Amino acid sequence: MMLDEQQVQQLLRLKRFEQPPPGYFDQALQEFHRRQRAELLRRSALRIWWERTASGLFSLRVPNYAYGGAFAVFCVLAALVGSGVFNNLPPEPELASSSAVDSIAPGARAVAGRLTLNHKFEWADFERTARLRLAPSIAPSNTSLPRYVLDGRRPVSTEASFNF
Amino acid sequence: MDEEASLPDDETLVRRTQNGDTRAFDALWQKYSPRIYSLIYNMTSNHEDANDLLLEIFSKAYRSINGFRGRSSFYTWIHAIAVNMTINFVKKRGRRVQMSLDDMDANVQNDKDFLELTATNTPLREVDLAELQKRLNEAMQKLSVEHRAVVTMFDIQGMPHAEIARILGVPEATVRSRLFYAHRQLQNYLEEFRKK
Repeated sequence: MMLDEQQVQQLLRLKRFEQPPPGYFDQALQEFHRRQRAELLRRSALRIWWERTASGLFSLRVPNYAYGGAFAVFCVLAALVGSGVFNNLPPEPELASSSAVDSIAPGARAVAGRLTLNHKFEWADFERTARLRLAPSIAPSNTSLPRYVLDGRRPVSTEASFNF
Repeated sequence: MDEEASLPDDETLVRRTQNGDTRAFDALWQKYSPRIYSLIYNMTSNHEDANDLLLEIFSKAYRSINGFRGRSSFYTWIHAIAVNMTINFVKKRGRRVQMSLDDMDANVQNDKDFLELTATNTPLREVDLAELQKRLNEAMQKLSVEHRAVVTMFDIQGMPHAEIARILGVPEATVRSRLFYAHRQLQNYLEEFRKK
């Protein structure tokens, strides 16, 4: 006669009566405390801090609205940078009165002078070059081809003509 | 049992532990160590291994408790740690199983299941208690560790299918099918013993 499923389950339930000796869990708790103390002494404070921080960070759930907020911050920063707010810095007095070519010349002279043996070296020229701020300038290209206006009554414009 | 009833709820104990109150973690130990021990012991059939694993599991839980956000109960969380660590341990241990069994509580003699199983018209009437325990543990060790985990939690600890599914992170249907298969396997193993 084979054991049926119910009898197998009854038999398994009897395993609840397999118990460790009395007082086992109190002793195990003391052992747990002892191991914790030993572990604390073994590990450096930095490592403990790192473990706790990493454990906190990895379980951190980023809420959905945080993504929206991050995107909004990005958009605002992009708009500020794009509008040129940060470009409106006051010009340095030294450079404001001279052209870029004039400003470069002393530095270039100094560099060229380093290649000659009899040149008297001037650190001031180098410092001036280092402070030099190159500002891009936008101007119509001198190399663009001239456009001929066939109808003399129409004003000359730089816009492309689509009337053929 | 009275001591357990007088303890604050798990949420409070976890929060206090996270704030550095080690006595709160001792209370969690007091509450859960017997259940966790039972889980490990029935999966390993070895008291010494269960003892070592119990300490390791609670150490890991203590180290990771700052990351516990309460999305599951502490009960589920610590059981999940225990099951995963025990499965890893058993797989690493391989086939070299040395049983070291705890004694059966004398109260088993009065248990309804025991009385029914040892009644005169059952196949186990001639088997004594120690022999029965040994046979059952040997049969358990022949199951895969995943099946053993499900049998331990359902049949021995009396957990519902849904809770086991949450702990193992598998669908409830998987828990049911593992249980069905494991019961079949145990029936076959115990039958073989009976014929010997």
